[in-house]
Amino acid sequence: MSDVTVPQDPANALAAVAALRRLADQLEDAAVEQAMRAGWGWPAVAEALGVTRQAVHKKHFKRLVAAGVTLRRR
Amino acid sequence: MTGFGKYLKTMLDRATVEARLDGSATVEARHLLLAVVADQGSDQGSDPGRVLVSAGLDDSAIRAALSREFEASLNAAGVTRSVFDGLPPATPDPKHVPHLGASARLAVERGVGSASGPAPQPAHLLLGILQAEVGTVPRALALAGVDRADLIARVAQTLK
Repeated sequence: MSDVTVPQDPANALAAVAALRRLADQLEDAAVEQAMRAGWGWPAVAEALGVTRQAVHKKHFKRLVAAGVTLRRR
Repeated sequence: MTGFGKYLKTMLDRATVEARLDGSATVEARHLLLAVVADQGSDQGSDPGRVLVSAGLDDSAIRAALSREFEASLNAAGVTRSVFDGLPPATPDPKHVPHLGASARLAVERGVGSASGPAPQPAHLLLGILQAEVGTVPRALALAGVDRADLIARVAQTLK
């Protein structure tokens, strides 16, 4: 990453922020699903993401149920 | 519901589907643009969608441009999407209803605001999308070599 030039144009820098947020959201959905399919519980996923269990549950529970993922309570 | 109200609802419904497939929590202007270009074969006809296609912006061209913009913006921060190719993509939730995001809200407001008479026309929505000077859509169009000002003029010509 050290050879990356920080975008000097504000439009490019802001677009990079927007794209990184979008990618991070996509990655979070994918990574949480992968972890839960691998048998992780909500507390471990939440701790790994650095958010509360309630937050991760609220954000992902319905989608994972719809996706047919078997969810562990702990 | 007025003609424009009906058109707007159809576009928002279609954009919502696009957002869901995109795994996006919100409906954004890019999803509205895809909704507009998809509206080609309805009975009422749709000038906005046809203008886009006549400018070389069919569905696949718009998707390619949006994808290129995403990759280019990530690259500016030294990130590539392919780094995460090994991670299986998340399963979209078919019941999730994404709410209206800031860029889509602005597009609708600008479109309705640009109507001179009391009743906006379908083309006003596309004008609202195209009027954004910054953000994903104008960047994607620029990367695709589209002259946005010219496109806006062509859309405006279809106003009755």
